[in-house]
Amino acid sequence: MERLHARYPFLEAAREAVATEAVDLATIVEQDGAVVERATQRVVTALEDGEIGDARRDPRTELLSYPVARVLVSLVDEGILVRKYARAEAEAAYERFTADFEDTVELKSVSSSGLELEDLLREFDLEDDVRSTDGGYRIGVGRYLPLAAGLRDDRWRLVNRALSGGEVPIEDDELHALLREAIRGRIEEGLPFAVPDAIATSLEDEAAEIREVLADLELTREIDTVVPDLFPPCMKALLDDIQKGEHLPHHSRFAITAFLTSIGMSTDEIVELYRVNSSFGEEMTRYQTDHIGGETSPTEYSPPSCATMQSYGDCVNKDDLCERIPHPMAYYEKRIEQTDEDDLEDWREESGEPAAGD
Amino acid sequence: MEERTRAYLRGRFRDHYRRTELTLPPAANEREWGYIPWTEGPDTTMVRHRSLLELGDLEEFLVRKRPRHVYFSAGRFRDPGAGSMHEKDWQSADLVFDLDADHLPNVTLGEDSYAEMLATCKDALLRLLDFLEDDFAFEDLEIVFSGGRGYHVHVRDESIRHLDREHRREVVDYVRGIGLEFEELIETETVAGLGRKTPTERRTLRTEGGWGARTHDRFMAFVDELLALEEEAALERLREFDGIGEGKATATLNAARNNREGLEAGNVTVHTAVAQLAERFAERAVEADNAPIDEPVTTDTNRLIRLPGSLHGGSGLETVRLERDEIDAFDPLVDAVPETFTGHEIRVDVADGGEVELGGDSFTVPEGDQSLPEYVAVFLMARGRAEKEKE
Ligand code: SF4
Repeated sequence: MERLHARYPFLEAAREAVATEAVDLATIVEQDGAVVERATQRVVTALEDGEIGDARRDPRTELLSYPVARVLVSLVDEGILVRKYARAEAEAAYERFTADFEDTVELKSVSSSGLELEDLLREFDLEDDVRSTDGGYRIGVGRYLPLAAGLRDDRWRLVNRALSGGEVPIEDDELHALLREAIRGRIEEGLPFAVPDAIATSLEDEAAEIREVLADLELTREIDTVVPDLFPPCMKALLDDIQKGEHLPHHSRFAITAFLTSIGMSTDEIVELYRVNSSFGEEMTRYQTDHIGGETSPTEYSPPSCATMQSYGDCVNKDDLCERIPHPMAYYEKRIEQTDEDDLEDWREESGEPAAGD
Repeated sequence: MEERTRAYLRGRFRDHYRRTELTLPPAANEREWGYIPWTEGPDTTMVRHRSLLELGDLEEFLVRKRPRHVYFSAGRFRDPGAGSMHEKDWQSADLVFDLDADHLPNVTLGEDSYAEMLATCKDALLRLLDFLEDDFAFEDLEIVFSGGRGYHVHVRDESIRHLDREHRREVVDYVRGIGLEFEELIETETVAGLGRKTPTERRTLRTEGGWGARTHDRFMAFVDELLALEEEAALERLREFDGIGEGKATATLNAARNNREGLEAGNVTVHTAVAQLAERFAERAVEADNAPIDEPVTTDTNRLIRLPGSLHGGSGLETVRLERDEIDAFDPLVDAVPETFTGHEIRVDVADGGEVELGGDSFTVPEGDQSLPEYVAVFLMARGRAEKEKE
């Protein structure tokens, strides 16, 4: 059993096995260098190569390194790290389970480390929602949607699927991809968590190492914080106009939408933000929405520079900071940097004055 | 709206709620409630973040407050009365669809009458139900005439209540046909060549469901139409398509005549012209079959929706729950007229008259002081087109 758990440490049974090991994490991180080393490797390789590195031969070390790796990810506490790490773990699991599925029956009886499709379906409570047909499977649409949400290719979009009777037909390899997503979700769940001080102290060096790798990769520059109070004056003005339901020329609409997208807002959130205060401008909101939805996705465009903003007359209410930056994004980054993290209240966290359906 | 008018409507809404029995939505006490009172001015401030516990017995509440509009949330919460969404602690939400005549592409605002708009809306509703009942196979549907300009469908199947807004958008895109890629509807298989032929690719339209099936139905109907035509007429019909010339028209007609089974099976490798044509029919399917629902209503898992059985303060009509088999015969402008407002006339001063179709009659309402059936008067007052006169 231990080997199975070492190969698939995210399984519920593996978690229980760790729990019944009766050793507490604090002791392990303090005393078991091999475990900590492997845990650090998991995280660092995830960042650098999108993999988790070679498994240790000793299943106990391998198994225990997983919860420790989660502690490390939590200590560093960066969204991008959580995502990259979960992706790498899921990818490793995917390679293992697809290999296991292909293994012949005889091999499986020899080692008990093989996982079968049924096991995995049961693990994610999918056994009633996935049924096999000739040539593939059918999965209930309510389960399909969350699992496929993280997959980018157009073929995963529901509109392109042969949905009927509440089920989406999928092929073998597609089921495997969805299972990988389920695993990724399981791994991301609960990360980052609060780490007790004793453990944090023992892992200080490892956490610092990971932070360094992160810094080198320059991944943390993704802003992903929405604090309208800190927006540059130009963007504040544009947002104000929209919320008042005013009609904006194309370049202005583009500028504000591209800006909001660049700071990590989804189209839905943008629509929601545009609606704030404009409960009477329903028509207008919709108008704006349609335009965002209809245009080539602004994700691919970065917001215009200050020079461009100026030439369109969108640069208004310049302040001191404006004199020192070339780009509205730079303005916002600076303001975010200058503000104590605890004082940053993301608009999305407090959002929720949705208008009524009529 | 003048105070006298407001007072009148308030009073009559109360009378209505006194004699009406309401059915609460399931899990009513896990939902947020909101209402808009009769207040001065056009701006309407919603009182929301209320739990049923705070409102007390709903019927008694409606009689007491006689609000202009009443709403409940699609979402279910642990603490529905909390003031912020975060504290409410969202658990799940009904999947709600809103068809609003104002936003339908084939409604011409200002030109179509209210009745015409609602009829267009009902067609869209039937198309929507087609998706919900067949493609999605939802079982727990509540269909509602909104009392205003359209219809709502509340889907409460357990299997989809957990979906978040991102997932719900996929559902929206599906029923609207947004993001449809013809290439993705095609399945490509490598088939061994016959005899000494090299293996080839066979491309098949997925006909077993979804937009592939809709595309296929339309394409096959067209094929059969071709087969019923004389050679010349058939070729001409084909050449009407952009990019289909003499050669492709002939090839397609031959394919239709000699290999109808192949086409029926979705095989689009028969000839390049076939794939090209099929793609056109994908576009047509979307145009003809899509259900133009209002996206934000469906994707917003915290949304408040009008309560079935309540009165719409902007029309004086009732928000009516409909059984599936009642839809065909349902005439909103007759069946949603509250009984309370029928059977007698009242005096109003009409500022903005015109044609009004209501209660199975058509009225040409002149401007000025006059007596009108109460439901017509209420309708005009609710819409801000008339004021109450002293009797
Ligand atoms: S200087 Fe740049 S950031 Fe400042 S208001 Fe003008 S455009 Fe915006």
